[in-house]
This record gives sequence, structure tokens and C-alpha cells, in this order.
Amino acid sequence: MADKSDILQGTLDLMVLKTLDAMGPLHGYGIARRIEQISEDALQINQGTIYASLVRLVQKRWISGAWGTSDNNRKAKFYSITKTGKKQLDTEAQNWERISGVIGRVLRVAERG
Amino acid sequence: MLARAFATLAAFIARIRVWLSPRAVDQEFEREMASHLDLLTEENMQRGMAREEAQRAARMRLGGVAQLKETNRELQGLPLLETFLQDVRFALRMLRKNPGFTAVAVLTLALGIGANTAIFSVVYAVVLKPLPYAHAEQLVNVFAANAQEGIAGTGISYANFVDLRAQNHIFAELAVTQFHQLTLTGSGEPAIVDTSVVTPELFSLLEQKPIAGRAFFPDDGKPGAPPVVMLSENLWRASFGGDLKIIGRSINLDKRAFTVVGIMPAAFRYPALTSNAQAWIPLPQDPLFGSWLPRRGGHWLRVIGRLKPDVSPARMQAELAGISARLAKEFPAENSGWTIHTLPLQQTIVGNVKPSLLVLLGAVGLVLLIACANIANLLLTRATSRAREMAVRSALGAGRSRIVRQLLSETAVLGLLGGLLGIALAYWGVTSLSSLLPADLPRTSEIRVDYFVLGFALLLSILASCGFGLAPAFFAADSNVQSSLREGGRSGESGGQRRARGFLAAGEIALAMVLLVAAGLLLRSFSNLVSMSPGFEATHIVKADISLPQFQYSNPRQWAAFSSELLERIQAEPGMGDSAFVVPVPIAQGKINLGFEIVGSPPLSAGSSRLADYVSVSPEYFRVMGIRLLAGREFNAHDVIASPRVTLISEALARRYFPNQDPLGQRLIFGFPLDSAGAREIVGIVADVRDIDLGQAPEPMMYVPFAQAPFWGGAVVVKSTLSASSVASTLRADVHKIDKDLPVTDVTTMSELLHASVEQPRFRTFLLGTFAAMALVLAAVGIFGVISYSVSCRTREIGIRVALGSSRSSILQMILRETLTLTLVGLALGVPCALAGARLAKHMLFGVSANDPATFSAVAAGLAVVAVLAAYVPAHRAMRVDPMIALRHE
Repeated sequence: MADKSDILQGTLDLMVLKTLDAMGPLHGYGIARRIEQISEDALQINQGTIYASLVRLVQKRWISGAWGTSDNNRKAKFYSITKTGKKQLDTEAQNWERISGVIGRVLRVAERG
Repeated sequence: MLARAFATLAAFIARIRVWLSPRAVDQEFEREMASHLDLLTEENMQRGMAREEAQRAARMRLGGVAQLKETNRELQGLPLLETFLQDVRFALRMLRKNPGFTAVAVLTLALGIGANTAIFSVVYAVVLKPLPYAHAEQLVNVFAANAQEGIAGTGISYANFVDLRAQNHIFAELAVTQFHQLTLTGSGEPAIVDTSVVTPELFSLLEQKPIAGRAFFPDDGKPGAPPVVMLSENLWRASFGGDLKIIGRSINLDKRAFTVVGIMPAAFRYPALTSNAQAWIPLPQDPLFGSWLPRRGGHWLRVIGRLKPDVSPARMQAELAGISARLAKEFPAENSGWTIHTLPLQQTIVGNVKPSLLVLLGAVGLVLLIACANIANLLLTRATSRAREMAVRSALGAGRSRIVRQLLSETAVLGLLGGLLGIALAYWGVTSLSSLLPADLPRTSEIRVDYFVLGFALLLSILASCGFGLAPAFFAADSNVQSSLREGGRSGESGGQRRARGFLAAGEIALAMVLLVAAGLLLRSFSNLVSMSPGFEATHIVKADISLPQFQYSNPRQWAAFSSELLERIQAEPGMGDSAFVVPVPIAQGKINLGFEIVGSPPLSAGSSRLADYVSVSPEYFRVMGIRLLAGREFNAHDVIASPRVTLISEALARRYFPNQDPLGQRLIFGFPLDSAGAREIVGIVADVRDIDLGQAPEPMMYVPFAQAPFWGGAVVVKSTLSASSVASTLRADVHKIDKDLPVTDVTTMSELLHASVEQPRFRTFLLGTFAAMALVLAAVGIFGVISYSVSCRTREIGIRVALGSSRSSILQMILRETLTLTLVGLALGVPCALAGARLAKHMLFGVSANDPATFSAVAAGLAVVAVLAAYVPAHRAMRVDPMIALRHE
């Protein structure tokens, strides 16, 4: 399944994971809104894209989903991070920092060169 | 790392679950999208949009729902599986396009898998399947052995059994069984009933319940209890019309009334899984064995035990050794030297046939290997001609693994088709096998193609397709794209491929050699066996069993009187020659092996004993059976109870126990029947007889006159040129003139008995011969394939050679040289394999050694001839290659 969009997917997955970790259980809409807010609307994505991420994370059992009722009494599927998900978030976050550091350095070098 | 692997696994499982119910996932995703849209719409409306506008904006924010659904489906499903299904469809198309190839490959595989599945169904039912009792692994056969006397295993006396049952802490339950044929009278024709004589605990031990009435109570087994009987469902239906009112009524067995207490289901079999016991009675009620109970010295009871759970083998051995020692100390006369042992019940039942069956399974496995090698060869041929196709695929961007996957899918389809046809063949094979099965093979009624066997066939076809699929896939993926495209895939067979094909063909020859040598050795053994003289003349001798109810004929004098009256009546019938009474009949009824002493010779040292087979016969026996008298005299009408006790000994006894002296006039003492101990004078020596089976050297034998040692029944042997059935009806009429309630059973000819006694060797020889023939044909096809392909690849080369002046015969020589090289490599590989194989089958050989040079050289020569014949057609084609056409062709 590995293809070229792996890194991008990974980024979104990580953001979803982090959001759920910070905010507690949320539905897809809530997660999408939250990511938009945090990125100060710099990351304008089709909100639907979030669902591919959610499916992947559920399959890996890093998050779990269950139907519930939202604040304004609407049925919605709520996702929450699992114990393995939390552990994975730590590792992934470290990885991310390392990789983004490396990429940043490479890009700087490339710019200068 | 581990966490990631676990996550991948979890994801895969999730995908499979979704793949199994895709609709539910789609629906849920739709609901989720709808809820998302609602939330977005609401947000938009709060910002002041009108409802319709808000909904449109929401849809824009979310993205195309149809596309999202598609992505979702892809993410959640199994795209890998879908490409597999695509590959399978493609494979089926390819197979349809090459019907000839498909037919040969599928048929070859089906033959291999069918034969394997059929044999496996036999092995599984007879050897591997647990016995049909609850917790069968706890069941053991308990037996006595005497190392000093060289007795490896025999029964246990009732008195010892009672002590063992009381003193042990390892068995949850112990029970005994014996077997006796009783005569059922009072309900139609008198009939012999195969009766199992048991202690009441047998049924609770085996955890078997009657279908009606009750099993025996412990009190039923006490001496003096009223006689009770349990009937088998079969006997109950056949003789009593399946009437439940029979329970509580009494029936007559050996002229004694037994109250029926219960009916056992037809499926219940014990102890002989081959034959069906028709009735069960408590041990003390048996007319014969009942009186033997107090004797501690008789080793005549078969004991079965159920071990308590968690009894370790060491603890069991220690406890049995302790009890044996205690019994020997307490009753030294009967028990010193004797020890008690156990063997798993399964092993006692199938132990004898297991090695032969496993050898057969191994042999049929080799046939499948040869079939696989053949198909691999075919696939390699095709892979060469498909090199261009693969090159195109590869050029269009298919990775190596993708191509390998496609080829493996093709072989998997091939394998499954072969497997399916093979299973159909196996059904047919099992049906035709069951008519061939030897009657003395245990558990044959359980042989069928069941789920376990089907699973085996499936596994086999998968393994086989992996086996023959890997090599071609390896080569195909390895092929050089550029050269294949340029050459158009016409001629290219790489050196590696040719070597692989040659190796496969040589391997087939080697495997075929193993099977042919084994079949040859078995065939020679079998012909040695059947050409063995049994020591008597079998032609025109009819044998019938007669048994006298012991409650009615309780006095040995009555037995003697009955036998002489019957023989007189038979003598008077027209068309009947000499007749005689004998117990036991050689070959048919086994042997009565007894210890004996020689009067006046010193007692034997410990650890050795004098043993001989005991036979009780009427005077005409030796004349009827054509057993030659070598010295002294035969029995005559004057050897009766009142006259001096006499015996005749066999040549083997004379040779072993009277070397360099004249046995005539010497006196022997042997204690059988139990009340007739006393010296008997040797009055003659007769020729040896093989009394157990043709494969065993004649044992020492001692004969006594029936009038001096009568039995409660026995067999009549009659010399007559009339048909067996008319002899039988005359016999029946004569017996019924004496007593209309006496059944005459097991009427057969001595020739048939001999024929039946070699059923097992005949069965395995036939099967192994069949497998060897299959192997030979497959190997010939393999060689034909390799040589003809190599000729067609070399058409151009041959054309050039001919054009340059090579003679036809030198072309022929070239092809034959290639064939013979293959064959020689195959034979060189085959000889050590065949030697190892023959050693495994050693226990089945008779009169021929496992490395019999004649068999080996005959097989090698035969294989070489077959190989040359198989190569002849392609060689002939090569000889007639027209150089002009060949050169233009390429």
C-alpha cells in the first residue's frame, strides 16, 4: 500500500491522532474544524479527506469510533484515541520532529546551494 | 517495530472483516457523511446563509461524496484480493485457450491427488483417527508377559485381574473380554452368535450406553447371579424383529435361558473393530470360561483399562511392576516370572498394519511427486513460449513480484482444478478400494472421504501447485526482457531452464525406480509366498465348523460320540470322500501353543521352554489333508479314551527336541485339555504344516486323537470333488439328523482359506504395483516431453547439422545420447533412493532380500528401455528434419 502520498497521509494521520489526544472524543466534523482552526485556516482541505485518515487509524486500532449524540442533539460517530494510539503518538511525534528537522536542514542547504 | 507490525496485522484483519460484509460498511459511511453534512450546514446557517445555500456550501466543503465513498471502499476492502481474483479470471482464460495442456496437467494432477486422497482415507480411518470411544487416549490394553519364557504378550487370569483391579491406583476402571461363539436356539434356524464375554464394567469404562434397556450391573458379574444378556441392535433386528418387548424375556444360548436386559447400538464395537459382537454376557455365565475363573495360572483374558487422567508413564510402570512383584511373591507357582504391562489400545488394534499402510502412503506420495515434476516440466515448456508475453508485461511496468504473483495464481487455479477432479477420483477410488481391502484389516467400515480427508486433498493440491509453480515462475520473472522481445520468444530456452527440465526428468526416473523396485520386490515376495506349500493338500477339501452347546453336551464322551457318529454318516453319503474332525483347522483358526515336557529328560534351565502347537484330530485327518507319515503309525480307531494315550509329532518337533535320537516310543506330558494331564507316547512322525500362515516357517506340532482329547466342537474336513455348496448341504443334513438344533457355519474350501490368508500381501502388492505402473507411465510421458521439446527447440540446429552433412543416424545418436544421459543420471539418483525405500518396506518382504540384485537390474534395464521408447518418436522426427524447411522456419 506504500505509495508516494505516504508522507502526506502520515502527516494528516498524526494531526488527527494529536487532535483526539488533546481534545478527547470528537466526530469527523469536529476533528476537521479543529485542524482548520489550529492551522489558522492555512490548511484548507476538503473536510472529507479526514475520513481516509480515520479509516486507517481505526484499522490500526490506534483510535476507535462509536455512534453518539453531539451537543446539539445530532447523531454522529465519535472517535477517541486508544491506549496503543497514545503510545504510537509519542513515537510518531518524535519521528516527525526528527524527520521535519532533517527535511528543514536539507531544504535550507538546497536553498543556499 | 512490533507495534507497527501489530497495527498492520490489525488493519489486515479489519479489511477482511469488511470484505466479508461490504454493504454494512457502505451504509455506515453514508450515515457518517450525512451527519457531517448536517453539522456543516448548521454552521453555515448560523453564519447567516439560507438553508439551500448552506447545504450547497457544506457539500463543497466536504468534497464529492461518491468519490469519498469510493476511497473509503478501497481503503477498507482488500485490493490485493481483487487483483488475485482478476488473476484467477485471467488464468482460467489462459487454461481455456490451451485445452491440450490444461487437460494433460489437470489429469496428471488429479490422478496423483486422487490416489493420494484415497490411500490417505484408508490410513486416516485405520491408523490415525482416534478410536470411536470417549477419551480414547486413556484406553490401554493390559497384558501379561514372561521374559524368561520369551512370551512377549498374552492374556491375564481372572484371579490376577481381580487382584489388579483391587490393588491399583492408576486405572479409573478395568474390564475383561473374551470371545465365544454360542448357539442361539428357539427363534427360527439355530444360529451361531458371536458373543463377547465380559465383566459388567466394560460398558461404563467405554462410556457406551444401550439404546434400550440397561447395561450390566456390577452384580450381574458375580458368580451365581441369574444369567443375563445384552443384544446388539443388529441381532435384535435380525432375530427378534426389533421388538422392544424382548427386554425382560429370555432367549436360549447354548440351551441355557438368558434374560435380555439391554440393546447396544449397532455402531458399538468392541473389542474387535473388524467384526461385530452380536451379544454380551457376563463372564461367569459363559458355559466354558465360567468354570475357569478360579484358575490363576491361565492366561486367557483380554484386559482393557482406562487410565486415570494425569498418570505418568513412569508412575504406571512403577505401580504395575509393584503389583506384578506382589502377585509373584504371593502365588509363586502361577505368577513367578510374569509381569503386567500396558499398550495403548489404538496400538494393539492397528499396530500390525500401520507400517505397511504408511509404506503405501509414502509410495503414493512419490507418485504425486512424479506428477508434479511432470507438470512443472510442462509449465517450464510453456514459460519458454510465453517469454514474449512476460517481456511485454514487464516492459509495460509489471514488477517482478506482480508477474510471479500472476503465474502463481495460474498454477493455483491449475492445482485446484486438479484437486477437485482428484477428489472425484478419490470417491471412486475409495469405493473400489473397499472391495479390495483385506477382511482382516481393522476399522475398514470407517473408511470414507470425510471433511478431514477433503482437507488433506485440498492441502495436497495447494502444496503441489506451489511445488510445480515455483520453478516456472522463477524462470519467467528472470527472463531477459530485451532479448525476449527481440527474439519474439521463438527459440529461447535458457541453459538454466534446460538444466531444470533435465533435472526434473531425471528426478522422475529416480522416483519411478524407487516405486518399481518396491513393486518388484513385493511381487517376488508374493509369488514366493503363494508358491509355498502349506504342508497339506488344499484342493477339493471342504471345511465346516460345528459347535456343540456346552450345557447340553457337557460330557467329553458326548463330544467324541458326536464326532464319530457324524463322520460315519458322512462316509455313507455318495460323492463324499474321506472326512475327519480337527481342532484347530490350520490357517483358519490359528494355533493352540502349549508347553510340554519330555519324560526322562532333565528339566529345562530358566528362560527356555519347550513349546509346540497342539492339534486334536480324528484318525483320517492325515489322509484327508495329504499330510505324509514319515515314521511310526497314524492314529486308528483303537486310540480311544480307554486305551493308552498316544501322540504324533511333526518333523520340526522331532528335529528341534530330539536331535540325533529316535523320538518314537518317547513320552510327552502336556497339560491340555486342562484335566487330561498325563504322559503320551509318541507313535509316529508326520510332515510339517504351516498352521498360522504361509509366511511363517512350520512350528513344532503335536497331534492327539480326538477320541482321547475331545472338544465341544471343531471343524469337519471332507475330501470331495462335489461343489462346496452341495458338500455343505449334505453336511448340514447329516448334522441335523443327529441334532436338529446344531448350526453348521463357516463352510469354505481349504483353497479359499489359503487364498484369504494372503489377502493383505496381495492387497499391498496390487496397490504398489498400480502405483509403480502409474509412475512408469508418468516418467515416460516426462521423458517424452523433455526430449520432444528439446528437439523442437533444436530444429534449426539439426537443420544446419544435416545441411553440413551430418547423417540421419548421427542425429538419432545425438538424441538417444541425450535420452540415455538423462536416464543414467536418473538411475544413479534412483539406486540409493530405491535401496533406502526397500529397506523401509523390509517387513513386507518374503524370501527376497531388500537389495535383491536381480530386481534392481531388471528395473534399471526396464526403465532404460522405456526411456528410449519414449524418446523414439521425437528422435524419429528429428531424423526427418528437412534442412531447407528448418532453416526457413526460423
